[in-house]
Amino acid sequence: MSAWEKLAALPRELVLTLVLIAMIIPTLHPLGLPIMTGQMAQDWYDTVDALPEGSVILFDIGYGSGGYPSLGPANIAVFHQFFEKDLKVVIMATALEGSMMYPLVMEGVKPESNYGAVYGEDYVFLGYIAGEQTAMAGVLGDLPALVSTDYTGIPIAQISILQDVAGADDFDIVAYLTTAGGTSEGWVYQAYSAYDKDVLGGFLSMMTTSMKPYYDTGQLLGLIDGVKGAADMEFLTRHPGDAIQSSDVLSFTQTLVIILILIGNISYFGAKASRKEET
Amino acid sequence: MDYKRDIPLVITFIVGVIAVMDYYTTFSAVKETFTIIKNWGVVLQAFALGLGAANLFRVHGKRISDRKTSEWYFSAWLLFMLIVFVVVGLGTGQFEASSQYKWIYNAIFLPLGATMYSSLAFYMAIGAYKILRARNIDSFLLFATAILVILGNTPIFPATFPAFFYTREWIFTAIVGGAYRGIRIGIGIGAVVIGIKTLIGMETGYLGRR
Repeated sequence: MSAWEKLAALPRELVLTLVLIAMIIPTLHPLGLPIMTGQMAQDWYDTVDALPEGSVILFDIGYGSGGYPSLGPANIAVFHQFFEKDLKVVIMATALEGSMMYPLVMEGVKPESNYGAVYGEDYVFLGYIAGEQTAMAGVLGDLPALVSTDYTGIPIAQISILQDVAGADDFDIVAYLTTAGGTSEGWVYQAYSAYDKDVLGGFLSMMTTSMKPYYDTGQLLGLIDGVKGAADMEFLTRHPGDAIQSSDVLSFTQTLVIILILIGNISYFGAKASRKEET
Repeated sequence: MDYKRDIPLVITFIVGVIAVMDYYTTFSAVKETFTIIKNWGVVLQAFALGLGAANLFRVHGKRISDRKTSEWYFSAWLLFMLIVFVVVGLGTGQFEASSQYKWIYNAIFLPLGATMYSSLAFYMAIGAYKILRARNIDSFLLFATAILVILGNTPIFPATFPAFFYTREWIFTAIVGGAYRGIRIGIGIGAVVIGIKTLIGMETGYLGRR
């Protein structure tokens, strides 16, 4: 086996070890590498920033433990912006694990101590609502008919933020973060198409390809693109957190992947040329 | 008359017509009826979760009792953890809001779930190294697009050379966006056809094998 052929067939263990090292180094020693804020996250930020104080946001936690490393930091950053601007936030979960994500996010935001927000007056969590698009249609169609209590069992008649919220007309904007394909397109269908609501969406990076056409046409006014988008939001909201630190990991790991792809191709053509010379 | 077939078809037709009328009309009677149907849908889907849990016991209980494969103990562990979560949730009376339930979830499920997704990075890295080779013009196009998109997605490159960011944007908007719109329009037309066929009883696949 020639040197080129050896280079083209590096052991799997070696490649995986290199990837692991590329992840560990920036995790242990964050370098604070520069990032460029994307337009999609900037549009999300600007859209929320333009909302008047007291506007009501319907926010869906559409991810679970698998999506938390990517979307959790984004969720914390966007909530910081919501509470800083004194917006009213009605939170629901279309993901089964969403009700477990809610306390994790709130521990990061601390709306009471950081912003003086009051549960029930400034924000409320309705918990998990089964049915994905049926749940979206139900909440936007007739919220009091679908939901009788909040996550903790308080009747919605006793929750002041929900006194003037009956359905889509009472929400100024719909925002969501999700790892589910059905949910990502579902909110566009149920909120934008059916009620002409302004919609903001955030997804895993691998889903951005399929969701960006909705952003390009204005059906999504802003888009958070995985960890990169989360880092952008942390930067824009001036609340640096896990996502900005993860950007260093992304930079290291993806640079390594590019190097590996180039090594694979150079060695492939090198081996091909050496075989030609031999014949 | 085949009641097992015809009754579900009639229910589907009525619900489907109400759903379409709810979207295209403003009759309050239709709106109110469809609100009730949507609420039934949410309740039914929540009930399906319970049915799913019961089915887990049926399938994995059989696997444990048969012990035909060496993986039966994974089934036993699955059912054990399911019981633990249910007992802790019900035992505290606060379900997932209880601190004990949160602790189990945050200590066990959250890291495992995050690890499952994160491990994809390793498979993608090894896959990119082994597969992305410019062997011919088709694979060269794939190779070039992949390199440009990764360069645009890697935070440090667009921050240093913004051209990488705009190149990726152009690929997403002009090439991917155009192709994806075509796919979505095709799927949309297909969905309308399937919907009409389901409403008029020509599509009966959802009734299950008969």
